[in-house]
Amino acid sequence: MTRRSGSQDARRGSWTSGIGFRLRALFRRRTMERELDEELRFHLDEEARKFERRGLSVEDARRESLRRFGRVDRTKEQARGAWGVRLLDDLAIDLRYALRQLARSPLYALVAVVTLAAGVGGTAALFGVVHGLLVRPLPYADDVGLRVFWSDWNWRGNELDLVREVASAWDGIAGYTIDATTLDRDGKASLVLTGLVSAELFDVLGARPLLGRTFVEGEDRPGRELALVLSHGFWQQELGGDRNIIGQRLHLGGQPYTVIGVMPDGFYFPEPAVQAWTTLDLDPASSGYRNNGWLVLLGRVRDGVAEAGVEADLSRLATALDERFDYPEAWDKTKNPYVVPLRQYLFGSVRPSLLLLIAAAALLLVMAVANVAALLLAKMADRSTELGVRAAIGAGRMRLARQLITESLVLATLAAVAGLALAGGLFRALVGRLPLAGFEQTLSLDWPILAAALTLVPLVASLVAVAPLRHLLADPRGASLKPFLAAGGRTVSGRGQGRLQGSLVVVEVMLAVVLVVGASLLMRSVLRLYQVDTGIDTAGAIALDLIATDLDEEGRRAFFDSLIERAGSIPGVRSAALTNRLPLRDGGVQGPIKVEGRPDLDGTKRLSSLWRTVTPDYFRALRVEIIRGRAFEPTDRAGSMPVAILDSELADRLWPGEDPIGRRVATSFSGSDWLEVIGVAAPVKHTEVRGPASSVIYQPFAQTVPWDAEILILEGNADPAALIGTVRSLVRELEPRVAVGRTTTMDDVLRTELAEPLRLRFFLALFGGLALAIGAVGVYGVVSYSVSRRMREYGVRVALGAERLDLVREVLSLGGRLVGLGILAGLGLALAFSFLLTRFLFEVAPRDPVSYLIAAATLGAIGIVASILPAARASAVDPSRALRLD
Amino acid sequence: MPKRPDMIQGTLDLLILKLLSLEPMHGWGLSESIQQLSDDVLRVNQGSLYPALHRLTASGWIESSWKTTESSRRARFYRLTPSGRRELARIEGHWRRLAGAVEQILQAT
Repeated sequence: MTRRSGSQDARRGSWTSGIGFRLRALFRRRTMERELDEELRFHLDEEARKFERRGLSVEDARRESLRRFGRVDRTKEQARGAWGVRLLDDLAIDLRYALRQLARSPLYALVAVVTLAAGVGGTAALFGVVHGLLVRPLPYADDVGLRVFWSDWNWRGNELDLVREVASAWDGIAGYTIDATTLDRDGKASLVLTGLVSAELFDVLGARPLLGRTFVEGEDRPGRELALVLSHGFWQQELGGDRNIIGQRLHLGGQPYTVIGVMPDGFYFPEPAVQAWTTLDLDPASSGYRNNGWLVLLGRVRDGVAEAGVEADLSRLATALDERFDYPEAWDKTKNPYVVPLRQYLFGSVRPSLLLLIAAAALLLVMAVANVAALLLAKMADRSTELGVRAAIGAGRMRLARQLITESLVLATLAAVAGLALAGGLFRALVGRLPLAGFEQTLSLDWPILAAALTLVPLVASLVAVAPLRHLLADPRGASLKPFLAAGGRTVSGRGQGRLQGSLVVVEVMLAVVLVVGASLLMRSVLRLYQVDTGIDTAGAIALDLIATDLDEEGRRAFFDSLIERAGSIPGVRSAALTNRLPLRDGGVQGPIKVEGRPDLDGTKRLSSLWRTVTPDYFRALRVEIIRGRAFEPTDRAGSMPVAILDSELADRLWPGEDPIGRRVATSFSGSDWLEVIGVAAPVKHTEVRGPASSVIYQPFAQTVPWDAEILILEGNADPAALIGTVRSLVRELEPRVAVGRTTTMDDVLRTELAEPLRLRFFLALFGGLALAIGAVGVYGVVSYSVSRRMREYGVRVALGAERLDLVREVLSLGGRLVGLGILAGLGLALAFSFLLTRFLFEVAPRDPVSYLIAAATLGAIGIVASILPAARASAVDPSRALRLD
Repeated sequence: MPKRPDMIQGTLDLLILKLLSLEPMHGWGLSESIQQLSDDVLRVNQGSLYPALHRLTASGWIESSWKTTESSRRARFYRLTPSGRRELARIEGHWRRLAGAVEQILQAT
């Protein structure tokens, strides 16, 4: 509807009231005004006609009607007040004014908006992550009662059954593990990560399928049908979301599985990377049931059972386990039984780093607010004359205050919009760089986070507004405004304001020091991590997972033998090797060992060691030094004497001061064969860089049974990407039923192992850099403001013969004083809270003096640089011009 | 002319609602009616009549529309809405109780 038709409405006589009337006032303002005029004119005309009828002249009648009516403009004003749009009118004026103010000093506006945006955006995005991982309910019914049992990835099938039999404080106990297998479709094999679960797992989780059903009791026992439950993502991506999928067959690892269910979108267990679930084979007659320690146990605490009840149940459980099974001392499962909430089990490891990052982002936000407040304060001083004049000619204090708040709100809103755009645009990139252990895909910057960010805005705005307002409205009678007028329109600045501005900058510098200390601590820690001798050389090496589930033992051996031969002759490849677990990445495959001639190391005293099967070139490919004896040779084959290589630490422990060559050991993985030690290798960090090197026994690949998944390591000077492509087609050519799983360079393996410290370093360095920038702007702002305030004084002093160098020194010392105070306070604060960083640091003390020196020096340097420009301005003062200022 | 009593706050709203409950009227007609019906005792401050009318309209108790008068001029007419009728009953009762109470006190001997 146009305005015209609106007034035609009125002519046709439609009645308006209430909301309609108010909306008209808002959107049909001009019509409302015209109608008000017309209404009052009608009144005055009728009134005049009344007096005319009583015999007054036209002019007198007119005058009399006006006299009786009173002030027309006031009536109009009051009528407008009744429309409820006064506040909006004022707001519009304030908004226009605020935008004009900002446009007048765009650099100030830019700095303020950018720093606030970084603070708001960073906090909003991190809040999103924290909310997603630590607050939002897990995709299971009432996840509070879900607990994970101690000794994870280490339970056997027979233990699971005993636990279920004995434990009484639970509504259900389930076991699961994760297994990579192949999906065979149209003659091609692709990698699928599956969860192998006991039948009641979904019931314990309280998770309902989107389609079909989940497992029922007995489906994990001998004679089971091979059944498969799909994740929503797998169903969509691999099967096109086919709703008729239930009952169809999929071939996994060469066996036909019947699809019985599809889980809803958003469901994951135990991590988003798992694409499908099938049942464990809990067959008491199988050796896996008795030997494979690979399960995680998960239970739901029965309603009404207190923590004490759970603990009592656990110790009963430990006793039962101890009675039934025989545990060696080194890994006695019955010691210290405990359970942890599922959320803590899943996210416990990322929680500290997230909290650290959100604390850092919050510090940055505080800095940004302090910075903007300092900037506003400086601007307010420049405008004190204007404000003083406006107060003097009768602008209400509240009106002035409201206008200043509007200005801050405009600033904060711009910053919030920029910050949200930043958070939204960079969320994926940001989340991708967080140490989130694969959960990043479950996160999104959804509306509660946006809402949270939007509530941050007024908060930030009011904080920003507080500083200048306190100064302006410090006393109720407006005395603080008087000096501005008394100064005859010249800019005068109160001491209190300078001090407030100074303290804001001190706070900024202080927080910057804290952030920079944190950043340099982490940087130095990462540096140390890179200096750790891992025992292997990652340079030039790549690794590919090969999943050969579909082949039998003979097929595997034939495939791996021909693969290693062909791969070794690819141009650019110097060494090609196979192993069962990749160093720095894959833990596990650890078992008890027996040592010939050491009966004291039997029974409960037996030692445990990692077990690795390798081909002869393994030690060359990863440059693992052979300290004594020899490496494996092609002659160490099936049927020849079973041999082994030990790492030097294990060898030293078993035979201190003696020659290990020729001694014999046995592992649980190599059956009852005694293995003769033919060599000693340098220790290797097999599972983690930060821990000690683990004991390991290497056995020749050729003398063991090939696994369904092995890892091919190639070393040389070929381009990794091209090489991976070549190997893929080689595998396809040799055996299409083998899938190539993860492919990676060894450098990346090391980087992934160091991911958490690297990523924390990235973010803290980012925050530290921003903090330095904000701090520099803050120092520059306050020093340069103080200089421009004192230009007259400097002019006079130069005219009286003061050395210009003295002026420089004076200005620099002003900046220096603020920065110095800030640095001292910051160092103190950082020292006091440094213990919070302990868990993130490696071989660097939280009070590492070098990091503190770096922070102090960096901020000191920045303080000097930020003061140099204003100092130069002060020393270049032209006395004749300065005296004419104002 | 004797000094007219000041309007008690809220009284103007009551008068407007009461008169509009009788028939739709424009602003000038209202001010005339108030004077005539009160035998010239109550004289509405004409300037304050319109803000009151607009306030009552915004509250939804009365509604307005442009109509043509007998003298074929366009004028804004106001009439009572159903919720205005309830409001009138409410403040009328309130007023009667108030007036009764004052009357009781004045009659005390």
